[in-house]
Amino acid sequence: MIDVIRIFGPLFVWFATFSAIYGLQGLVCSEHWPALGLTLSHGRVALVGAWLVAIGIQLGLVAVLQMRRVAPATGLAGDVSIWLGWSAVVAIIWSSFPVAVTSTCG
Amino acid sequence: MTTLVLLVGCENSLSTVDPAGPAANVIATLWWIMLAGATLIFVFVMVLLALTFRRPGVADADNPVGEDGAARGREKVWLVGLGLCFPLVVLAALLAYGLVIGERLLPRDDPAVVTVHAEGRQWEWRFSYADAPDLVTENVLHIPAATPVDVRITTVDVIHSFWVPRLAGKLDALPGHENVLRIEAWKPGRYAGVSAEYNGPGFLGHRFVVIAHDAEGWSAFLTDGAP
Amino acid sequence: MSPLRRHRQLTRIWQSDPGWKGWFTTVNHNDLGRMFMGTAIVFFLIGGILAMLIRAQLATPRSAFMGPEVYAQVFTMHGTIMMFLFAIPLIEGAAIYFLPKMLGARDLAFPRLTAFGYWCYVFGGSMLLFAMFAGIAPDSGWFLYPPLSSTLGSPGINSDFWLIGITFVEISAISAAVEITVTILRYRAPGMSLDKMPIFAWYLLVVALMILTGFPPLILGSVLLELERAFGWPFFQVAQGGDSLLWQHLFWLFGHPEVYIIFLPAAGVISTVLPVMARTTLLGYAWVIAAAVALGVLSFGIWVHHMFATGIPHMALAFFSAASTLVAVPTGIQIFAWLGTLWKGRPQLKLPMLWIIGFFATFVIGGLTGVMVAVVPFDWQAHDTHFVVAHMHYVLVGGFVFPFLAGLYYWMPLLTGRKRFFRLGETAFWLVFVGFHVTFLAMHWVGLLGQRRRTFTYEGGHGWEVINLISSIGGFITAIGFGLVIIDIAVNTVFAARIRRDPWRAGTLEWAMANPSPAYNFASLPRVSARDPLYDDPALPHRIARGEGYLGDAYKGQRETLVVDIATGEPLQVVVFPPNTPLPIILAFVTGGIFLGLLTKLYWMVPLSLIGVAALMALWAWGLGSRGDDVMRDVGHGLNLPRAATVPQPPGWWGSAFLLLADATFFASLIFGYAFLWTVAPNWPPPAYLEPGIIGPLVGLAGVVVAPFGIRLAERHLRRGGTMWPGVALALAGAAAMATAAIMAVRAAADPELHAYDAIIWVIAGYVLVHVALAAGMSIYATVRRYAGYVAPDRFGEVRIARLWTDYASVVALIGLAALQLPGAVT
Ligand code: HEM
Ligand SMILES: [Cu+2]
Repeated sequence: MIDVIRIFGPLFVWFATFSAIYGLQGLVCSEHWPALGLTLSHGRVALVGAWLVAIGIQLGLVAVLQMRRVAPATGLAGDVSIWLGWSAVVAIIWSSFPVAVTSTCG
Repeated sequence: MTTLVLLVGCENSLSTVDPAGPAANVIATLWWIMLAGATLIFVFVMVLLALTFRRPGVADADNPVGEDGAARGREKVWLVGLGLCFPLVVLAALLAYGLVIGERLLPRDDPAVVTVHAEGRQWEWRFSYADAPDLVTENVLHIPAATPVDVRITTVDVIHSFWVPRLAGKLDALPGHENVLRIEAWKPGRYAGVSAEYNGPGFLGHRFVVIAHDAEGWSAFLTDGAP
Repeated sequence: MSPLRRHRQLTRIWQSDPGWKGWFTTVNHNDLGRMFMGTAIVFFLIGGILAMLIRAQLATPRSAFMGPEVYAQVFTMHGTIMMFLFAIPLIEGAAIYFLPKMLGARDLAFPRLTAFGYWCYVFGGSMLLFAMFAGIAPDSGWFLYPPLSSTLGSPGINSDFWLIGITFVEISAISAAVEITVTILRYRAPGMSLDKMPIFAWYLLVVALMILTGFPPLILGSVLLELERAFGWPFFQVAQGGDSLLWQHLFWLFGHPEVYIIFLPAAGVISTVLPVMARTTLLGYAWVIAAAVALGVLSFGIWVHHMFATGIPHMALAFFSAASTLVAVPTGIQIFAWLGTLWKGRPQLKLPMLWIIGFFATFVIGGLTGVMVAVVPFDWQAHDTHFVVAHMHYVLVGGFVFPFLAGLYYWMPLLTGRKRFFRLGETAFWLVFVGFHVTFLAMHWVGLLGQRRRTFTYEGGHGWEVINLISSIGGFITAIGFGLVIIDIAVNTVFAARIRRDPWRAGTLEWAMANPSPAYNFASLPRVSARDPLYDDPALPHRIARGEGYLGDAYKGQRETLVVDIATGEPLQVVVFPPNTPLPIILAFVTGGIFLGLLTKLYWMVPLSLIGVAALMALWAWGLGSRGDDVMRDVGHGLNLPRAATVPQPPGWWGSAFLLLADATFFASLIFGYAFLWTVAPNWPPPAYLEPGIIGPLVGLAGVVVAPFGIRLAERHLRRGGTMWPGVALALAGAAAMATAAIMAVRAAADPELHAYDAIIWVIAGYVLVHVALAAGMSIYATVRRYAGYVAPDRFGEVRIARLWTDYASVVALIGLAALQLPGAVT
């Protein structure tokens, strides 16, 4: 099972972090955000922060995949899961970079 | 006579590739560029496919051509080069282009903006005007030409979609939400509009017209309520 | 034993009952796979006839052939049938039929579940057909957006047929996905480690996991919309705190993965067939696996690209535009892996290859237009026009129908045992291929000229007439082509000569058996040591037939196959499958009572049917297991293995685990919906949030802790030879406490019609109650089984299953009840 989890894990985590950032963006543009006494520039900071954290998580995951404790039983699962770990890093950078460039709620 | 026919044809036009305003125009340009790029890529792939048949098939090769020393090199060319890097580069460029355009089309603050309301219902549109609060028009939207106009879109029943293809893309009318679409017509004229999201048996006839006025016509409309 | 005697004995063990009865009692994947595929093709013909009606209507402007009401039913049913009753079931059927053969097993993990799924599909599909022939079919488009599809826009029964019928059919998708997953992971030939698995199995593993996590949002959406329609719970009604956008999110959370659920099996077919056609092996096996996994998971993160025109902020659109372009990368990797494979081999233009070429020429265009509509501004223009109709048909027909036709011709010998003699196939290919492009290529353009999808006719003068006429002519050519394909197959099935084994000289295990495939697949289960076992050892089929593998002795008339380790493929257990039985069709029929009761509003049928379902399920499970006799089995080659029913994690545990994966996705979607409404819906906050109080949360929390503890205690006592009762009593007490807390929440929100928040409380609390009841029921069941001798100190697998469900119930009770209290607690 560890082989299967290694293969599907990294991008699954991407889906979770990506959705979380999307959720945060929804929150920033909702009425709850000003109700908390926060402005759109706080929102931008929070979003960019979340993005960096997400990248950190994905990088951490690549490191975890190298650990002896989660070693795969087949070489194939080892290779494929490391590639997919890096793919997830690229995916979170790529899919969430708009936090840094587009207008927040327009 | 022919001019008249042409005019009528033009008035009815719902063509996205015959833009009459800045938003529709940048999108039309985007389309032509994407079409050119897509054609190139398609031809490239088809040529590669055709070339694989360059060697006559050995009908009775009993065992398949197995792995050989060249396998790794092949993986590099086909998978890393063509499969991975080629799409990444093309897509990054296209994505950036699309996002820049998208940002430009947003209804940003602009002192010149004229605001109108579009309220969809089964199966008509009611338009009202921030500059003339008592004025309501049905299925005809009046705007000033060469001026950015914000259309505030709402619905009283099901989901509709406000679409004037020659001026801009479409935007939905969702129950409980107000959506703002920026449109602009370069020149005075009549532009056909439709509801684009399926909304029941009257969908086909759920149309409207946008009339863009010159400055005089616009102020006349605002004061008299008639063009 | 001679090969012929072995063949006779195994056939007697595995074949279906004689006569017409066999159709209804068979649980063999050979039969059910064919039945699934055959039924799906019937639905394809019906959907195709509807497509022809559409094209006939649109051939000329102002056509009087259909009015808007009829047209609405026709396009809705065309889309619905093609997506839910043709594509997905065809995939399931192919997986059911081929996977065990490719993996080296004699059947799927849960044969009766296969049959149950099939009958749910037939019954649910029949409901929709009935609605269509009665003229009361769903009519708000295949994605059924409320409020148009809800009571406001569709007061009649039309939408109910969709919501209830499709949910019924979905049961078959979920059950097929559970068993495909378990089968691929555990039911393989000895020695088939993950890195020797056929590529098709990798694809189907991804697909099955996607079905388990992709379909639940739609099932949830259907449940919520039906609750709104039937009882006025306002999930999608904005005035009472609902939001129609919630439906769009739930639908497309399913809908986008769905198109990759359809594409990936087709890609699996290509990855299997194309190398054989080029006399080589697949280039970059590991790369292709990585691409399939990446495609599968990434496709979950792009659902909002169907909602670019809904007025969502540009940043959110940008996320999904970016993610959507990203999916094109693994698709590109696969395309170039296939081209590279052709390049390294010697491609031969046989009929399956012809269809694959058709796939390339078509799917690449569909992929490119897909990238175009992923670019937000362009989609603002193209969305809801015939451009999108053209795009999706390029992807669906080019990316699914063509590859599956390649597969059909490739595997025909296995299915029918016949050679292709009459050469209609080539003509049919050209008709379909040319006809398809004539139909759809220019349709892009008419979309850009402004023709909206779902309009039942159009006026002249837009420059649309010629294109529509050409498109309709193309449509009829395509239809003739498909008709010819069917005639070709029928004629060849009936008249052509028998074919020898492995006609394509392929390397995978399904070709190690005779044509057509025998009911037992393998006379003995081979040990494999390469990815293409038949290339590795050409004599393998003979050795299998001579019984030189495992389990070649037709022992005691039992249906047996091996269970292996997930990663290494080393054999661990022997499983004994149940024989033919009418139980699945009866269970499906009684399950149908639930859906029929909801549809006809004869609500008394629902509890009655539920009791019937529970009783039948108990009966179903009762026949499994072992009383401790004959535990070890000599499988051959000196290997002595335990029966799968006696191990701590029996097949039922694995099935439960993956079913819970789907269940958890359902629950996560529910929580997402709740959070979404809280954040976005205009008429929030509700009149009142729940007052948390002290007692409710405390009681609930106590239950959450006690129930899992109790069931563990029961297991410990059992394994020491003691009584299970104290532990089970604790578990039941915990369940009762959780149920109490849930009921208290429901009573505090007395009126679910008041506000979407109150309705959500009822749904979450109801969900918790159902799972608490399931967990309690399983604990009791395990205890009863102890007295019957099936559960014993050294056979506690069923207690483990009860434990799994108890743990799950506790987790959802904790999260669900906390989520309900949260807003009230913070404000
Ligand atoms: C060659 C055969 C086919 C033809 C000629 C055809 C034609 C059409 C046309 C013209 C429409 C647009 C109707 C409208 O918007 O007014 C349509 C819609 C659709 N088609 Fe097909 N189709 C074919 C095969 C398929 C297949 C194989 C699938 C799926 C596997 C499919 C899935 C759909 C879906 C999902 C819709 C959208 C329905 C809706 O708007 O609710 N079609 N088809
Ligand atoms: Cu999509």
